[in-house]
Amino acid sequence: MPAMRRSVFVSCVALAAISLSLYAQELALPLKPDSVRFAVIGDMGTGEKPQYEVAGQMIGDRLKFPFEFVIMLGDNLYDDDGAGSGDYESRFELPYKPLLDAGVKFYAVLGNHDKTNQRFYKPFNMNGQQYYTYKKSNVRFFALDSNYMNPQQLSWLEKELQNSGSDWKICIVHHPLYSSAAFHGSSTELRGVLEPLFVKYGVQVVFAGHDHVYERVKPQKGIYYFTEGASGSLRKGDLRKTALTAVGNDQDRSFMLVEIAGDELYFQTISRTGLTVDSGVIQRVAKITGAAY
Amino acid sequence: MKRQIRVTRLLLWFSLFAFVGPGFTYQARTPQVNEEARDFKVFTDRVQKYIKMQKDLKASLPALSPTKDEARIIEHQHALARIIADARRDARQGDIFTPEVAKRFRKIIDRTFLGPEGRLARKTIQPDSPSKILVLHVNDVCPEEILLITTPPTLLLRLPKLPQELVYRIVGHDLTLQDTEARLIVDLIPNVIR
Repeated sequence: MPAMRRSVFVSCVALAAISLSLYAQELALPLKPDSVRFAVIGDMGTGEKPQYEVAGQMIGDRLKFPFEFVIMLGDNLYDDDGAGSGDYESRFELPYKPLLDAGVKFYAVLGNHDKTNQRFYKPFNMNGQQYYTYKKSNVRFFALDSNYMNPQQLSWLEKELQNSGSDWKICIVHHPLYSSAAFHGSSTELRGVLEPLFVKYGVQVVFAGHDHVYERVKPQKGIYYFTEGASGSLRKGDLRKTALTAVGNDQDRSFMLVEIAGDELYFQTISRTGLTVDSGVIQRVAKITGAAY
Repeated sequence: MKRQIRVTRLLLWFSLFAFVGPGFTYQARTPQVNEEARDFKVFTDRVQKYIKMQKDLKASLPALSPTKDEARIIEHQHALARIIADARRDARQGDIFTPEVAKRFRKIIDRTFLGPEGRLARKTIQPDSPSKILVLHVNDVCPEEILLITTPPTLLLRLPKLPQELVYRIVGHDLTLQDTEARLIVDLIPNVIR
């Protein structure tokens, strides 16, 4: 698609989504002063119409909920034709152009469809690293490379978690530790090495993609797990409602909006057409360490 | 009297076995451990030699810092792959994974994939879609259509650690040693995943 036609297409989709989102749904987030606000997208980099529609919805919602940054859960740029180029333009720069222009930062992790050299792509803010950490106010994010969880990465994660004095510790991986989706399901091996660290150092929330559905898993060992792998790709009907599922959706694409204010994390999951798929609040429980009394 | 002698002999034999037996066992085990350590030392030395060469070659290219220019990222990868492949034009399969090292790796891989937790490791390397059968060679750039197959964490915990410039990647049935930045196949053990 020539760039001009693409831009017109993006603008039309964005405008339509903005008008829809202004009327379609209520914001379930409190917009508290000084809160940390962000969006979450996963498995989005298809460059196809539904990705643009989800992006348009995000752009519209940002008028009501001015999020500062976006977390990308991997499969940022599908390259299934093997051309070698990730086509950063049609799969990232164009769909999210209004957000990028507004100074919204994107933080990516690598998925199994991504080329590892995406870490050098500046707008993904990976700074050449396959795993990294960043802090926003009282929230520390740990962006992990779940394609290659080697002992060095595990040691690094343990050290970073141990040294983090942040109230909130949030981990981001591509492969879900818990998932009720039929196609991939839970990454049990990964869980075996990561979960003990998450529990030991008080990680409260984990975001993952990979399965092309939305799922909020019932808390496991006190940790909340979200799968948002449907912000571009969708595997319709793939979600088996298991005992793990708190809420799930495999009928449309979606993205998440998150607000963290003090000890509360508010979330709202919104579909491509602007419907609220899930919403709620997570209360932070302080991790008590030291003497056992 | 005869009975007493028999009992004493028996006790002597028992004591001898008790003292010498563990010694034999110990002696039988030690060389095995030493041989493994020796083989892995050969491997890590060769890896270090590669890293030194790679760093020297990389220093001859303009440094790649994070950029918005996709073409620059790709060009850097290709340029690095080109100069490494050129510098290693005589490299052969087995230069780093020597036959002894490959044998050790095969054992570890079998233990990971065929052992009690093997089912989970197999699930980890399951590709999204049936992948093409490719014949890989040392100094090939890993084909772009190859998806990243998660290397099982349980396997990574057992294999010798690598510097960050290199990774173990499973491609089809092969274990490859790949340069992360150049996507170059540095060495491989074919048909290791059974």
